[in-house]
Amino acid sequence: MKLEIGNFYVKDIVFGDELSFKDGILTINKEDALNFVREDDRITEAELYIAKPGDSIRMTPVKEAIEPRVRTDGEGLFPGYTDDLRQSGNGTLHALKNCSVLVVGRHWGGFQDGLIDMSGPGQKLTHFGELNNIVLVADTNEEFEKHEQQKMNDALRRAGHKLAGYIGKCVKELTPEDTDVYETTPITKRPQEINDLPSVVAVLQPQSQMEAMGYNDLIYGWDMNHYLPTLMSPQEILDGALVSGSFMPCSSKWSTYDFQNFPILRRLMDEDGTYYNFLGVIMANLNVAMDQKERVIQMIVQQATELGADFALVTEEGYGNPDADYVGAIAALETAGIKVVGVANECTGRDGASQPLVTLDEKLVAMVSTGNVSELIELPPMDTVLGELEALGRDGNSGGWDFDENIGPSVREDGSVLMEDNGLFCGDQTVGWSHKTMKDF
Amino acid sequence: MKKAIVYVNQFFGQLGGEDTAGVGPSIHEGQIGPAMAYNQKLDAEVTHTIICGDNYMGTNTEDAVNQILGFLEPLEFDIFVAGPAFNAGRYGVACGTICKAVKEKFGVPVVTSMNQENPGVEMFRKDIIILKGGNIASKMRKDLPAVCKVANLYLNDQPIGPADELNYFPTGHRHQVFVEETAADRFMKMLHARITGEPYTSELIVPKMDRVPVAAPIADLSKANIALLTTGGIVPVDNPDRIQSASATRWGKYDISDMDRLESGVFKTVHAGFDPAAANADPNVIMPVDVMKAMEKEGVYGKLHPYFYSTVGTGTTEKEAARMAKEILPLLQEDHVDGCIMVST
Repeated sequence: MKLEIGNFYVKDIVFGDELSFKDGILTINKEDALNFVREDDRITEAELYIAKPGDSIRMTPVKEAIEPRVRTDGEGLFPGYTDDLRQSGNGTLHALKNCSVLVVGRHWGGFQDGLIDMSGPGQKLTHFGELNNIVLVADTNEEFEKHEQQKMNDALRRAGHKLAGYIGKCVKELTPEDTDVYETTPITKRPQEINDLPSVVAVLQPQSQMEAMGYNDLIYGWDMNHYLPTLMSPQEILDGALVSGSFMPCSSKWSTYDFQNFPILRRLMDEDGTYYNFLGVIMANLNVAMDQKERVIQMIVQQATELGADFALVTEEGYGNPDADYVGAIAALETAGIKVVGVANECTGRDGASQPLVTLDEKLVAMVSTGNVSELIELPPMDTVLGELEALGRDGNSGGWDFDENIGPSVREDGSVLMEDNGLFCGDQTVGWSHKTMKDF
Repeated sequence: MKKAIVYVNQFFGQLGGEDTAGVGPSIHEGQIGPAMAYNQKLDAEVTHTIICGDNYMGTNTEDAVNQILGFLEPLEFDIFVAGPAFNAGRYGVACGTICKAVKEKFGVPVVTSMNQENPGVEMFRKDIIILKGGNIASKMRKDLPAVCKVANLYLNDQPIGPADELNYFPTGHRHQVFVEETAADRFMKMLHARITGEPYTSELIVPKMDRVPVAAPIADLSKANIALLTTGGIVPVDNPDRIQSASATRWGKYDISDMDRLESGVFKTVHAGFDPAAANADPNVIMPVDVMKAMEKEGVYGKLHPYFYSTVGTGTTEKEAARMAKEILPLLQEDHVDGCIMVST
């Protein structure tokens, strides 16, 4: 399987007459882009903004992030979701780098939505604080969930995915600055010297714990709640096979942008064949009931064993209940003789005194920690708020509250914010961006 | 200039050795013993030195603590340091005891230092910052500046960094910090180490679990001698064994042979980890003497052991809990107890 990603590095974004990319400047015709967004008649209100590193801009409720891209063969970016099914992972993509399309609710947020700051102490708390962002702020007629804490955000998220494809088209015919090539040989067809190396498998546990459909991560458009572990090529994930969902505290979330760029997977591919043989990805999921968890863990171990894996990455998109899936998978792989390095955030409470994962096992011996979901974060006011700041305290955001007799509300009158790390958009960056670790104090 | 107060024992307070370990607390203006070095290295003036014999602190703890808190009451100070205590067990416990009391009463930062073998470490590391110190007094030249380094962070309103950077015993709190390397970098390094067998440090250390095998079933319940134990803090109302309300190190054994139930007003809970109203109104909701006595009369089991054992579970370290269990076990065995009901809360 061979995937080439041609990179177009975005230095600046401006609104102008024509959608185009030249000398690092991405120009967008705002009205054309908004008219494209409004083709979905569920969208009742839409506006576009630009948010760059250093801008005094706060965004919330952020619902999704997508890297703008185009397939040079004209196929759609997200097969089975926004586009017809196709095999992901082969061919050529052109991607606008250092750039993302963000979708922000005009008014209404929920448990699963997040906050991004483009400057100040909050900038480094999300990966998107460092990117040039095209920000779609919109509202919809999805009245049924307007006041629900758990929102599907279907119209807004789809608008983001489609807009990323719409913008990406401007680099379809251009020559990229450089190109990343991700090529793999089928497992049994690799040369002897590669097959003799210690072998590594990546076990990913995307979020799929919502029993109702429409909230979970999608694989080729299929809800991952109704799904069992499957062997995949890493290129499939980088090429739109996975689409992020709308369920779980936001700092633990893997956005679609994260799937498209999955740093740990790319690092595993970069060094593949040097001192290990990267076998590929066992794409698992996260479940609610114990038998569902156990079934998936059993299948992960069986597939890893059958592949002859010696070592494994295990990482989860979530914390709390899914720690049972995460810790269970690591322990079961170790028991089967497959040595694991785990990557996840922790939940040690605001005072840092709680048990870091819901379950612990002595077999967890090599762990990378990416942050504390309950850490209290204080952020100064920003000049501009895109979306509605009140949503953080009002709409049941996982990191916000409207009242606390001791520490006051999350959203203060002067526009400053006191929140938990939980509410930062993809803040714990478990896919590999994270500069955070956990330390004992 | 900010102000500091130093606590030392009789030896470092230059009162003598073991012969003066029974001397009660005293306060002195200025600096005595290590307080002189503290005065040089702290970003504060050491205004007073407090000296107390280790044995006096150990056996008359409440009185010693109250006296010292009384000394401090009229004084202004920004930090309180004690020790270093090295591996001197009584001195370490004394430093921990007084630091904890001063922190709770006055809300000022407190810092001390002990060797990892000092029993004061496990007793107090969750309450106060204890630097990892040497085992003998000759390590003073290293240990005292380490205390000052942390104390000066407090004095200059700087954040106290992670335990491994400042070399103190973790206080049981984990927080996120920013590092140069990304999670992907750290993952690749750890993977490389696991593949090559090189050493690495996991970012989350899971403590070794001390699993106890499940006991064999009681063969004949109708003849069994059953004892009640609890971590729910049920004690006679005057709490005769002075069991602490949290982070307990003490336990009690109470006679219930002549009662059919625990009466409110006679027994209560001292547990600080839950609302005590229900347990104080009816202590049997935690320590079910009433039900056990009734079942004994019905012949469900042989007999109820005439004593129950009690401590407080909240905040109590596993190590302390294990020690208390080892103290209680021989008594249960001596009395031929066949089975125990451990009532948790």
